[in-house]
Amino acid sequence: MHGRVTSLPSEPPRFFNRGPSPIARLTFFGVISLALMFVDARFRTLETIRMAIATVVYPVQQAALLPGQMATRMGEFFDTREDLRVENTRLKAELLTASQAQQAQLASKQEADRLQKLLLIAQTSTTRAQAARVVYLGRDPFSQKAFVDRSSTQSFEPGSAVVDELGLLGQLTRVHPLFAEITLLTEKDFAVPVKIERTSMRALLYGRGPGKSPELRYVAGNADVKEGDLLLTSSIDGLYPSNIRVARITSVQRDAESAFARIECVPTAAVAGADTVLVLDKPPAPAPRPAADTATEATTRKRR
Amino acid sequence: MSLFRLPDSPLFRIASPEDILLSPKPWFVAITLALAFTANLLPLSGFFLALRPDFFALVLLYWAIHQPRWIGIGLAWVCGLLTDVVEANLFGQHALAYAILGFAAGYFHRRVLRFPLWQQALHVLVLLLIAQAIVLVLRLMSGATLPTAAIVLGSFSSALIWPVISALLQWPQRVRSLLD
Repeated sequence: MHGRVTSLPSEPPRFFNRGPSPIARLTFFGVISLALMFVDARFRTLETIRMAIATVVYPVQQAALLPGQMATRMGEFFDTREDLRVENTRLKAELLTASQAQQAQLASKQEADRLQKLLLIAQTSTTRAQAARVVYLGRDPFSQKAFVDRSSTQSFEPGSAVVDELGLLGQLTRVHPLFAEITLLTEKDFAVPVKIERTSMRALLYGRGPGKSPELRYVAGNADVKEGDLLLTSSIDGLYPSNIRVARITSVQRDAESAFARIECVPTAAVAGADTVLVLDKPPAPAPRPAADTATEATTRKRR
Repeated sequence: MSLFRLPDSPLFRIASPEDILLSPKPWFVAITLALAFTANLLPLSGFFLALRPDFFALVLLYWAIHQPRWIGIGLAWVCGLLTDVVEANLFGQHALAYAILGFAAGYFHRRVLRFPLWQQALHVLVLLLIAQAIVLVLRLMSGATLPTAAIVLGSFSSALIWPVISALLQWPQRVRSLLD
């Protein structure tokens, strides 16, 4: 105050009218952000806004992919003939085994059809599959997402299962006009109803987030589970078609303190490196739950 | 800072706070922001993704510090919202973080520019770490798992390229000042 200038004021004098003060603006936008987050997490009513912005921004995302695509194309150009021949041989061998398996499957399907007709069970229709290309993986370090392109003729539906040639990859969660978002099965708390191929015991496979392997939860410590067991979708939720490969058990730890075994699995699908995927239609809706069941559920909820 | 010595030409000298530059063209600000946004969308994954600087936040900070009357809290908030949409995560988390970046830039812009570039980079590092901490806290509150510590690498690499970004974004203005 005594003729010494200590610092410049960070605010212009009051007679330059610049609207609300920065702290007021920050509070305003901060409150809007928090409100948006709350609404987005609880009610999912902002999907139309998200879709609109995402569609406008999509061309920019495509532009960002160009350098990588050009590099790949250059790399392909310099692929040697030897590489291609080796790959060709491998693919032919795979085709051979696949066609053998398919023939075996055809025979068993005919057999199953005949038996089903005999038993008068409603015939399961073959699920329709639509091919899509993975454009990029999600950039959010907290979640496990992948994005596929979508042509306007493809009718994707949120909730459909997504598979690659090795097994279940995840589920479509958002369908935008030009692309669609897949939540991968390694996403935290992403649950898949599975059954163990060897024993057809049912269980739930839970994802545990980036960098961690999914685990089978709530399996009793004395259950018949072994390392190397294959898990298939059980279709008990009416969401995934049945008998898609999901994961293979890598470790089973039984602990005397816990009633449940600790079972870690590795997805059979190339979760981080999927290239071309199939989007499977949802199986026909299961019969509605019996009324008595929902009534008891309501009472138990009330009691809590 | 003598590691990389630029040729001794006025074209390559970074403007000191005393130099008065012509104001940048609005279209240049818009294009650099759009380019930075596109650069953030490069399809990287894994370690390289963690290492990638947040170009959008950097360019936003640069303009919020150098042109606080154009780029303020509101615009930073909108940019954050765009980031939220393309990353397909919770609406508003980056919006809040970027709005705070915009606020801090407006608050510190006179002070930061008095420092040499590498000290400015330290300021930028702290601001970006704060922004990341906000996103982290919001995500943990919404039930995400703690990601690996590698995600802070992005802030460090961003701070490292701050001098380069500053020089690049200042270049047209310096050239125009020289030509006049």
